[in-house]
Amino acid sequence: MALNEIQYPSILDPIEAASREFLDRHQEASLAAMCEHAVSNAPLIRKMWADAGVRPSDIKSVADFREKVPFLTKDDIRAFRDAHNDPTGGMSVDSPGQTVSVGTTSGTTGDPTPVPNWRRTPAEDTYARDHWHIGVRPGDHICHMLFTFRGGHRRRSLSELGIAEICFSISPFEVPRIVEASKRFRPTSMSIFPNPLINAFEQYFEKSGEDPVDVFRSYKGAIFGGEPLGERQKALTKSWGLELFETTSLGDVAGAAECRQHDGFHAYEDIAYIETVDPITAEPLADGEIGELVVTSLVDRLSPLVRYRTGDLVSIDRSPCGCGRTHARFKLLGRATDQILVQGRSILPREIMGLVEKHSETRANLFQIIRPSREMEELKLRIGYDVSRLKDSEGALKSRLYDQISAAIEVPLVLELIDEQELLKLGPPHKIPRVTKI
Amino acid sequence: MTSVHPDQIGCYTAHGETHFYSAKRTELDRAGVQMARTLTGYAFQPGSYVLTVSVVQEVVQFAPFEFALQVLGLYGTNADLSPFDAGRVEALARQFDPVAICGVGNEVLEGLKMMGHSAADVFKGRTIWARPDAFEAVNAMPGVMAKKVALVGPALALECAQGGVHLDGREWEVSVENKELLLSSRQFRIDPIHKLKTGFTGEMLAGPCSCGNPDPLMRLDGPSQ
Repeated sequence: MALNEIQYPSILDPIEAASREFLDRHQEASLAAMCEHAVSNAPLIRKMWADAGVRPSDIKSVADFREKVPFLTKDDIRAFRDAHNDPTGGMSVDSPGQTVSVGTTSGTTGDPTPVPNWRRTPAEDTYARDHWHIGVRPGDHICHMLFTFRGGHRRRSLSELGIAEICFSISPFEVPRIVEASKRFRPTSMSIFPNPLINAFEQYFEKSGEDPVDVFRSYKGAIFGGEPLGERQKALTKSWGLELFETTSLGDVAGAAECRQHDGFHAYEDIAYIETVDPITAEPLADGEIGELVVTSLVDRLSPLVRYRTGDLVSIDRSPCGCGRTHARFKLLGRATDQILVQGRSILPREIMGLVEKHSETRANLFQIIRPSREMEELKLRIGYDVSRLKDSEGALKSRLYDQISAAIEVPLVLELIDEQELLKLGPPHKIPRVTKI
Repeated sequence: MTSVHPDQIGCYTAHGETHFYSAKRTELDRAGVQMARTLTGYAFQPGSYVLTVSVVQEVVQFAPFEFALQVLGLYGTNADLSPFDAGRVEALARQFDPVAICGVGNEVLEGLKMMGHSAADVFKGRTIWARPDAFEAVNAMPGVMAKKVALVGPALALECAQGGVHLDGREWEVSVENKELLLSSRQFRIDPIHKLKTGFTGEMLAGPCSCGNPDPLMRLDGPSQ
């Protein structure tokens, strides 16, 4: 019998469809256990709790947790790292025999933060569930595009399920090989599929004359990540027969991806406890209100992030999802630190993306908000354009962009246009800093 | 039920062409255990860090190296072989003080220079396994223990502490034709190869290595293309 003839369950782990009552009780128990572990083992957590006068025995319920437990930020971790010469920032538990490798964060906003990896990381668990939801099953192939800094070559969560990973860099130079692999191995999914790669595929198909529908005909979906998905990319990939599932980071704790309902990111509540707080006052907010996402790992004993403020602005929905799974979903509005107020109007990069990508020359969506301070009198944008696609003059393009963005945003606008290659030098291929001081 | 489904599909490049190469995790793990024999001669303290510089599609060559680190109680950490990620090499070297960095290529040297870092300062006091395109430059850096590493087809050739370049002799048979190294698999593999023209010129050396590892020794003269 072929592997694919076996009738596999529709969800990878039964916990994905657990009742709300079970999830709530499970979270309460897991939070207490994780608090005990974190205070006992992570020096920074121990210090912060001592400073706040809180002990693990004080946490008997979720309500206690939300009322008493101090918040943790990336700056706290960096400050501890610098003060104590501890590369893990006092957050990571050094467990010989358990720490398989040490991954790092992207480092977009400073030195990369170390993330010790257990045999199977929470992110591997969540991605396995996401691929399974898309329809990947044992015996299938997926195209696996990633950076090695996320954990090197030790990943085996999919191969343990009988799913083969075809490995690629996230690089436009890999596109011809991905096309070749797609036709040869007929994968059923891929991740991570970011904006620059979509643009590279578009150029490849334009030049090669290959039929994207044929190339992608075996795919049941593709996990898109790195930056928000724009309408142009969504329509483009749909025309290729690809259904994209957006993913985002759950505050360095795990991943969170959309399901087929495309109605928010699923945060697996057996892996993380999520809540929202006011980004300025840190007062707890109710589900449904827009606030800063705060995440607590329920499983990662090597990196026990407790009440970690992610800087992401979200709204949480814990009602059951149409996909049959019960875990919370959240809508992501953008980074709290990226938010600017222009004459009182809130603006986030996500809003600009949908406007910049509409022009042929700027379809790669490369731009930066210049933000010397959070509150400004005018919106300053630096936009990269593809010189080879210039239809008329740079001045004419600037005028077109100005008219369109001004009409949509309705605030005073200052535009600076530069060759997009200059912007690409500012970051790794998957993303550039969207907000800059200068 | 018998399955010959691969776990990982990486690649190798020979004579300028890149080919997919499939492997089971068990193949990569057993190669890692063998590779640990080459690493033991360095006597790195358990708990030390070793930074691997590679790209994801080099999984077949570098997964065994990383498994060898785990076997020896070392902590592995990673950066991409890319000028864009050279800043991570500098940051991780500064933060973790790794005893060794494996897989340094010209991309890293270019990236460090582009970002205003001195590669010699970043590498000083460490064992640096450099790829053929970077070895000469790394070897010229004072205070750096320059060693060779090369992706020879789907295998990783690694220089030991005594200066011998080893290749897993239980896994691979190496022959030489017209000075080119040819690689054949000796064990059960999901993707067996026979006399693969690796694109490397070199020579097999007779006699045991003073590091104590009985794996075959070779002289690598570099890619022939």
